[in-house]
Amino acid sequence: MKHFTRLAAAAVVGAVMGTAAVAQELYAPNLSYRTGPFAATGIPLMNGQRDYMLMLNARDGGIGGVPVNFEECETGYSTEKGVECYEKTKGRAIVTQPWSTGITLQVLPKTNVDEIPILAPGYGFSPMADGKVFQWAFNTPASYWDAASMIVQYLEAEGSLEGKKIAFLHLDHPYGKEPLPLLEKLSADKGFEMVPIPVGLKEMQNQSAQWLQIRRERPDYVVMWGWGAMNAGAITEAVKTKFPMENFIGVWWAGHDADLKIVGADGAGYKSISWSYPVLDAPVLADIKQHVVDAGDSMSNPEEMEGVFYNRGLVISMILAEGIKAAQEHTGNAEITAADLRWGLENLNITEERLAELGMTGMVPPFQTTCANHTGHSGGWMLEWDGEKFVKVSDLLMADAEVIQPLEAEKAAEYAEANAPWAVSETCDAES
Amino acid sequence: MLYRTAGQFKTSYQADQALFPVRQDAILLGIILAFAWVIFPLTASEFTFQTLLIPILIYSLAAMGLNILTGYAGQLSLGTAAFMGVGAYACYKMVTIMPWMNPVVAILLSGVFSAGIGVAFGIPSLRIKGFYLAIATLAAQFFLVWLFEKWAWLYNYNASGAIQVPNLKMFGVYVAGPQADSMVQYFVVLAIVTLMTMLCINLTRGNLGRTWKATRDMDIAAELIGINLMKSKLTAFAVSSYIVGVAGALFVFMWRGAAEPNLFDIPLSFRVLFIAIIGGLGSILGNYLGAILIVGLPVVLNTLPAAFGIPVSSSMVEHLNIMIVGALIIFFLIIEPHGLAQLWRLIREKLIIWPFPH
Repeated sequence: MKHFTRLAAAAVVGAVMGTAAVAQELYAPNLSYRTGPFAATGIPLMNGQRDYMLMLNARDGGIGGVPVNFEECETGYSTEKGVECYEKTKGRAIVTQPWSTGITLQVLPKTNVDEIPILAPGYGFSPMADGKVFQWAFNTPASYWDAASMIVQYLEAEGSLEGKKIAFLHLDHPYGKEPLPLLEKLSADKGFEMVPIPVGLKEMQNQSAQWLQIRRERPDYVVMWGWGAMNAGAITEAVKTKFPMENFIGVWWAGHDADLKIVGADGAGYKSISWSYPVLDAPVLADIKQHVVDAGDSMSNPEEMEGVFYNRGLVISMILAEGIKAAQEHTGNAEITAADLRWGLENLNITEERLAELGMTGMVPPFQTTCANHTGHSGGWMLEWDGEKFVKVSDLLMADAEVIQPLEAEKAAEYAEANAPWAVSETCDAES
Repeated sequence: MLYRTAGQFKTSYQADQALFPVRQDAILLGIILAFAWVIFPLTASEFTFQTLLIPILIYSLAAMGLNILTGYAGQLSLGTAAFMGVGAYACYKMVTIMPWMNPVVAILLSGVFSAGIGVAFGIPSLRIKGFYLAIATLAAQFFLVWLFEKWAWLYNYNASGAIQVPNLKMFGVYVAGPQADSMVQYFVVLAIVTLMTMLCINLTRGNLGRTWKATRDMDIAAELIGINLMKSKLTAFAVSSYIVGVAGALFVFMWRGAAEPNLFDIPLSFRVLFIAIIGGLGSILGNYLGAILIVGLPVVLNTLPAAFGIPVSSSMVEHLNIMIVGALIIFFLIIEPHGLAQLWRLIREKLIIWPFPH
């Protein structure tokens, strides 16, 4: 009977937790992953997100005078734990930040029923941009299809792609397959040949077979959609096989400083598209140093704080904080609900002036979301590894909305149909 | 005292062979069933349904399927997760091709597909045994997961390569998909698991179960007393894979809501195998005890610091959790290598003769 008392105790604990009284705070949990196989890439992002919110709490007393409770729920990047965290936090959370494509896929249909905004900056399902269908999902400021479109544009600027060959090295996982529909379309439009080369989850660290194929195919460019251990594996393999690094381009999650520090100067020329950039003399970093690091509250370290991922974490929390602020101003309440936050995230307007006020000029391109456009399509910059750090090598690149939008609408409609009955937003029209 | 069997006389063979020769066992089971069917649904929160009750039941069912094969028939298998995957994908294809189909019927039918695949991969068991057979089932594991990735028809050519459970209705109520209520899903899972458990208990006590046990204990001796080994092994593979397939369909349709191929990879196989081993091979009760320890305990441990207001970061809790559960597994296996079910059996023996041990 021991196990049943244990179960009953759990039931009581669960019931109590669900109904516990809440002090005045904005509960914005983060489904973090500081453990498990992807922890190395997770920790800098989580630290950045956390430090920004702690800074707001210390400097301004939170947002609109209400402190943010930025609690972390550890998932270890495991889908099962992620769903557990979602269920645990959804009772009083105003937002859910799932942090893995697997968890996003599971949670996405549930948020539409539970009516909680899901904030997946720069990841998740690209058609989430269609705010009419995905009322509760936000992948600001740019989607994977934006990334694919920007990379192709950048390559086109170097010369026509007609007749060229691009190898698409990707994780064999929903995340890695995400840009395939767009790349297929672009390859038909622009006349280049696209060779998809999948890397299985078990082969991440040892990609000799894939790079042998790359050597045989002799592509002009390699575009990589990698994550976790796969990035370091691919970059070391590229160095080993003497693939010209300047023709090797990764998505924004494949631009982690630590992965390139392994190869150092040999990796010079490697590029990564990104919608965030570390501006080390930005006022926001000085504020974080003053209010969080010097107070001993940060879990980060100076080396990490100069990296792309930590600074991306800051931008992600900024987007959430701006969404909360917009919602507070709209409703007049300091303590907002999940539905209010949805309005806030739909009415983000991050202009250059606003970025300057936030002390984040140059850290993210300006963008604006609407009811129908949940991505904002900020565009991004091409970053290049110079042997020691990532530097900007392009002007702001903008994704080709004319190609992406019809595809988004098509796939979003397909999703809604497969998940019928799916509540869609009736209030916003496509133009607004 | 509580378990006194004095005065419970058996006057016929039938009474002696009954499922519960001791009255208290039947009462205990009645209490457990009352908890599962009435008290938990009335008291549990959605969190409890989604992270404790439903997963524990589904994992118990999967472990029970494996236990038929490994614990009763003695055929070691490392391909459980792949057979769960067959059930899940079969169910997905059935409900997308025939949307009018009753979801519970689809779930029960999907086991048939995994039973077929299980028998096919069980054929080598006629020639090889033990670790060699484990390697053969490992081949099934790798091959089937590869198939789930590469055969786009299985996931309806979805760009992400994952399957997503549509909203399914039964008698006007949503039972699967995001619209479904947790309590409804719990009752569906509970009903199917109860049914399967009854089936397993009776199968393992009957003729078929005895031939399996004979095969497990010594296959040459079993053959000499006239047991058809081929029939015995293949029926074990079929029944086991059927139950595992149903568990896989429940896993995706009643709990996860979406699945990508690598969900059905080796870690899941090992998890189910651990549940079966720690619970106790060759026992039905053990699967439940094992699932509670391996699936339920970490969830409960995760909520404890917050419930007592101890300020520990959640990654720290996760690390502690891994250590505590790991230590407990070792502890239980040292004090009782035959699993938690054997531990309960010993406790029960002691209770029966308490307070006057011989």
